[in-house]
Amino acid sequence: MDQQSVQVIVETLKEQGIDLVVTLPEEPTYALTEAVRQDSFFTAVTVAGEGNGIAFCAGAALGGRRVAFVTGVAGLLVSSWALSQMGMVYGAPILILASYRGDFGDHSGIPGSQLLMFKQVAEPLLGALRVPYRVVNQKATLKRMLQEGSFACQDYSHPIALLLSGEVLW
Amino acid sequence: MKRYDCLKLLAPMVDKHMFTVTSLSSNTAFWSSLRLEGANFLGCNMGLCIPFALGLTAAFPDRKVIALDSDGSLMVDTSSLITVADVNPLNFVAIIFDNGSYARMGATFTTRRADLEKIAQGAGIDKTATVRSEEAFSASVKQAIDTAGPHFIVVKVEPDRERVKGDPHRTYGRAMREWFMDAVRHHPDYKGK
Amino acid sequence: MKRFDCLKLLAPMVDEHMLAVTSLSTNAPFWYNVRPEGPNFFALNMGLCLPFALGLTMAFPRRKVISIDSDGSLMNDSSSLITVADVNPGNLVAFVFDNSSYAFMGSTFTARRTDLAKMAQGAGIAKSGTVRTLEDFSAAAKQAMESTGPHFIVAKVEPDAGRVAADRSRTSGRPMREWFMDAVRRHPDYQVRR
Repeated sequence: MDQQSVQVIVETLKEQGIDLVVTLPEEPTYALTEAVRQDSFFTAVTVAGEGNGIAFCAGAALGGRRVAFVTGVAGLLVSSWALSQMGMVYGAPILILASYRGDFGDHSGIPGSQLLMFKQVAEPLLGALRVPYRVVNQKATLKRMLQEGSFACQDYSHPIALLLSGEVLW
Repeated sequence: MKRYDCLKLLAPMVDKHMFTVTSLSSNTAFWSSLRLEGANFLGCNMGLCIPFALGLTAAFPDRKVIALDSDGSLMVDTSSLITVADVNPLNFVAIIFDNGSYARMGATFTTRRADLEKIAQGAGIDKTATVRSEEAFSASVKQAIDTAGPHFIVVKVEPDRERVKGDPHRTYGRAMREWFMDAVRHHPDYKGK
Repeated sequence: MKRFDCLKLLAPMVDEHMLAVTSLSTNAPFWYNVRPEGPNFFALNMGLCLPFALGLTMAFPRRKVISIDSDGSLMNDSSSLITVADVNPGNLVAFVFDNSSYAFMGSTFTARRTDLAKMAQGAGIAKSGTVRTLEDFSAAAKQAMESTGPHFIVAKVEPDAGRVAADRSRTSGRPMREWFMDAVRRHPDYQVRR
């Protein structure tokens, strides 16, 4: 993710009042989580497992914090159990920014069989877990997608996911 | 030692502005009958009680948040203890009722070789204890509530004899969430909408 | 100390019939570099290396099974330590290469307050410890390979300088699985239970 996209995301998170950002570091979104970590506006929390990350976000969100969880498709898989509870059962408003590993355009160098799995699984997984999502792959519409996603998240009172891909991510 | 007797000792120590989070099994049914006011998030499924409570500490940093978890539930995600240690919230208290079994089946085992207190220490939580008597429970919990944490207390209890059910409209799922959110919205420290 | 130097010391202790399992990051290409033949399962994703290795101990109870894991990976599913202790397999040797960071990014931290060997002991794995020098690594590995386990050894290593190339058809995904299964089918102890 280049600094331009990082800045748009950081700025928009601030405008949306999202001051708690939770992650387990992963390469594609590292530049974003690093920028967040070094910006005193945010409380940045690093979790040891994405499952406990989503549950943590839910506790903070239902408690009134505006929170974002930054992860990737692998993290969504690991946190499926937590998402089923915190999303479908409890409707905790969590904004999930997830790198869309395996989407067309992923030149990160991860082996193809893994990328294929991520591509095949990502959207059906979110569908199975009833997490509304959008694929965000254009810089021109990045800000608007974040604003709309954040609004929907609060309005639905439900996790929503923005799958970051294309020129936004790579 | 019985879980219910411990929870009865705990209830008067929890003031109306503190938060509690319970795991499944009789933690929920018992606690819901003992603490009727305040914000209680009840019936968290396996592995989710501690991290959810941890998240609450980020929303209410000036109030004690007490997680009432069970051995099997914690074991599903002991990595949450690493996160607790790393975040290091002063207002966090975890009480794990360890009866060495999973609920509502025949005989099962959980912590045959595992020592949950030692795992917590390995994870980096310094203020830990294991208690086996009501006196020790009382003293430990009082200390946890009166001092800065994070605190982690394992309570060795016998398996409950009967199955106990709480009111499903207050103690589980979406219905419980509405009661919880109502209490949260009325909380003096609430900053959300 | 360097991860690669440790793995170079370990390789000669692993005979052709022992099984090895690695996590992602440099564990996979480094291990392939030092022990290319034999039943190796490479590059398991986060949290999966140790439990997979544990499963292998049940299929090959008379052979050492070596888990070559990383701190971040183990932390993702530290509950696997409880299962290892409970199953208590004498033939498991679990290494965790702990560089206190996640791979191939800028600086990250994993467990700032965590002591993985202590967590393992808490989980019930008595033979668990931490090593910080090559001499200690060598001694601990030798002892683990020559005695009944389960053993759990945390090796504190510096972050690796960068990515390492290795033949991906041998160290990743479905192609790797085929090489592994080929080695497994030829293994003298292999028994398919029908």
